Amino acid sequence: MCEYSNKLIAWLDHELPDDEAAGVERHLQTCAECRGQVGSYEEVSSAFAAYCQRAAVPIKRRRPPVLASLGISAGVAASVALWFALRPAAVPQLPLHPPPVASAPAMAFQATPAAPWVVHRRPAAPPAATQEAAWRPSEPAIQIAIPAEAMFPPGAVPAGFSFIADVSIAADGSPQALRVWP
Amino acid sequence: MSGDSVPFALPLSRFEVSDREADTLFRELRKPLLRYLVCLGLSHDEAQDVVQDAFLSLHRHLSSGGSAENTRGWLFRVARNQARNRQTSYDRRFGAPLETGIDAQLDEATPEQALLEKEKFRRLGDAIRSLPASERECLLLRASGLRYREIGEVLGIATSTVADTVDRAIKKLAEKCHV
Repeated sequence: MCEYSNKLIAWLDHELPDDEAAGVERHLQTCAECRGQVGSYEEVSSAFAAYCQRAAVPIKRRRPPVLASLGISAGVAASVALWFALRPAAVPQLPLHPPPVASAPAMAFQATPAAPWVVHRRPAAPPAATQEAAWRPSEPAIQIAIPAEAMFPPGAVPAGFSFIADVSIAADGSPQALRVWP
Repeated sequence: MSGDSVPFALPLSRFEVSDREADTLFRELRKPLLRYLVCLGLSHDEAQDVVQDAFLSLHRHLSSGGSAENTRGWLFRVARNQARNRQTSYDRRFGAPLETGIDAQLDEATPEQALLEKEKFRRLGDAIRSLPASERECLLLRASGLRYREIGEVLGIATSTVADTVDRAIKKLAEKCHV
């Protein structure tokens, strides 16, 4: 067994002192066996993270009921259209004629977005200040509340029914992904 | 009157700073903490409660002049202790097959790909369940983004022990999953 084999995972995790890390890097250039091992350790680390992520997804959100999701996605698509219609206006206004549900544009429906969780090999020991600077808010930048009555005919939506929709908008203004939950 | 303002100004400014720190940490760590707790076996509602309690404790800790060093490790340790107090079985989540989630994840794959991935996940799940709890916990905290030093502080073990445990656990998983 290679003398470096017990340092590879710590090297992947940036947990080795600089001189030892440099030694591992030099060694990896000449040892195909260790390179192969690093690859498999990286893969299993990512797989573990993905497994935990799946385990942590609440079961009720994994797959919304088909009927509900059809209605919700149509409603959300309509609200996206509404968002674009209202975008230039400083004060949001309710539409005079709600967009018909049937004409809502088809959109990609992403029930459980696969957010990147952990990337291995990890970034080298980031100081706390750097982490803070690199952080970007995960909350939507704009929140709009739209009463159901404004989008649907009377009686189409049960009283008290509501849902939340996250819409990702690309730089060119096109909607990229939808995430809805009741 | 400047003498009067000093005693008020000092605690106030410290309070504001700690408030901002707690807010930044909340945004950065809420989701990793939730995943960690759910993987430990808490339900989602329980995990939400624990995370909220942990951040309240942190807020109190910082605003009463507590050390702001290693707050990530501090939060995970508090959350872990609260999870243990809830008498939760660590094996509940990892013990349950994740078929439903995997099916949903593989909806868009071809049937062959889906089958292959499902088999891979099943083998990984078996391998994870066969690890001793200490190895599983180290990997879980590592996957939450904690450094070995922080993991050691959460679990109350030496950093070198964390390094050995992670090394051993990853090698076992790699061997069992034949990757």
